[in-house]
Amino acid sequence: MRFKLIELKHFLLLISVAGLFLTSCGGNGEGEEGEEKDTVKVDTVKTNLLKFDNTLFSVPSPIQTSLLIKKSGANYNKEMLNVTSALNSYSNNFKKALNLGVYGADLGYVTIYEQTQDAIGYLKAVKKLADDLGVSGAFDAALMKRFETNMGNRDSLLSLVSTGYRTSDKYLQNNERKDVAVLILAGGWVESLHFSINIAKATRNQEVINRIGEQKSSLDNLIKLLQPYYQNEEYTEFIDQIVDLYNDFDGITSKYTYVKPTTDIKNQITTIHSKNDIVITDKQLESISEKVETIRKQIVG
Amino acid sequence: MKKLFVVTLFTVLFGAFTTNVKAQCDTTADMCAKHMVAGFISDGQNYRALLLNQEVAEFHATFFGGSVYRISACSGQSDGNLVFSVFDKERNLLFSNAEYKNAPYWDFKFENTIDCIIEAQLASSNAASGCAVLLMGFKQQ
Repeated sequence: MRFKLIELKHFLLLISVAGLFLTSCGGNGEGEEGEEKDTVKVDTVKTNLLKFDNTLFSVPSPIQTSLLIKKSGANYNKEMLNVTSALNSYSNNFKKALNLGVYGADLGYVTIYEQTQDAIGYLKAVKKLADDLGVSGAFDAALMKRFETNMGNRDSLLSLVSTGYRTSDKYLQNNERKDVAVLILAGGWVESLHFSINIAKATRNQEVINRIGEQKSSLDNLIKLLQPYYQNEEYTEFIDQIVDLYNDFDGITSKYTYVKPTTDIKNQITTIHSKNDIVITDKQLESISEKVETIRKQIVG
Repeated sequence: MKKLFVVTLFTVLFGAFTTNVKAQCDTTADMCAKHMVAGFISDGQNYRALLLNQEVAEFHATFFGGSVYRISACSGQSDGNLVFSVFDKERNLLFSNAEYKNAPYWDFKFENTIDCIIEAQLASSNAASGCAVLLMGFKQQ
């Protein structure tokens, strides 16, 4: 009886996958009468098989933070960045992935400040780590060439860098290496927070301070992305530190007020007027700062 | 023997299926990327979900004040196959492309930083299953 049940399960699974395979090969499948029936069969096991990754979490691009920093009037500060000479000390994929994120954030920062020579150095560092991680296609010779050709055109350079990162993200997702993709995001997020903290301390710019507090949900998203890998030895300590950092962010208060948005149909743009007031105390900022610096030291060290 | 045959066949079919889905997603993502025109900087990520029937994919994001974002949402091999709606954290509806003929992309100007949830699902008139791709780009005001 038990064997028959297992056989039945396998049979249902087989039918389901075959059904889905055929469905997916069939394009839009408009007007195909048989399709509805196949789909009904699939329903019996589809949730176990395929309902994955349907809740997606975004981590903001480090480039956005660097743009805000530039806008705040802060001067270029190379001291904040991870030195490219540290590149060869990153010997395992865990460190390489995190620092690919860090160097990506640094590359964005130097590009925004139009520091051409530094940009080339960071682009080379990014390429080296991407190559080591097997995502060389993202920063291939063509992209490197285009980067050099577009020197002086900040927006084009930023677009090239972010497209390179999106390509590597796609490659890693397709090759079941989401763990690496998440570490790249984490490295970039920590580095951009490190930038904000440095600028906030130096300038007391309220917009930059608020931006730190506004990272609460992004940190929550990052934790959700990292969580599946918690059992992996290398990840455990890192995730514990990130979760500990979240405890500080959790104390930041905010008051959200919904305001009806307005839409300009002709230009396909909706303006969101809703407000969100953040209150972050000096004590919270100091504690966040200490924890971020500890985490970053371990990443780049 | 029969069991081994079934398991092998399952493995082969499942492998072929996942490869096919990934290829489908890549094609959709490439199509979607065309809506990220010059001026918008990609956030460097690909948001993908495999949807069946009326399944809904949820996407959590923070949008920073003072920025204009472009959200491009695609499925299949042509525009208009994905319905996406943007909600705030209190679930107030801020936008739905269903009101604009399932427009494949839309721009959002955020006056203040807020957390949003984007829901995406296949347009009811189209495929029973498909890869949903969301791409996000931004530009500073």
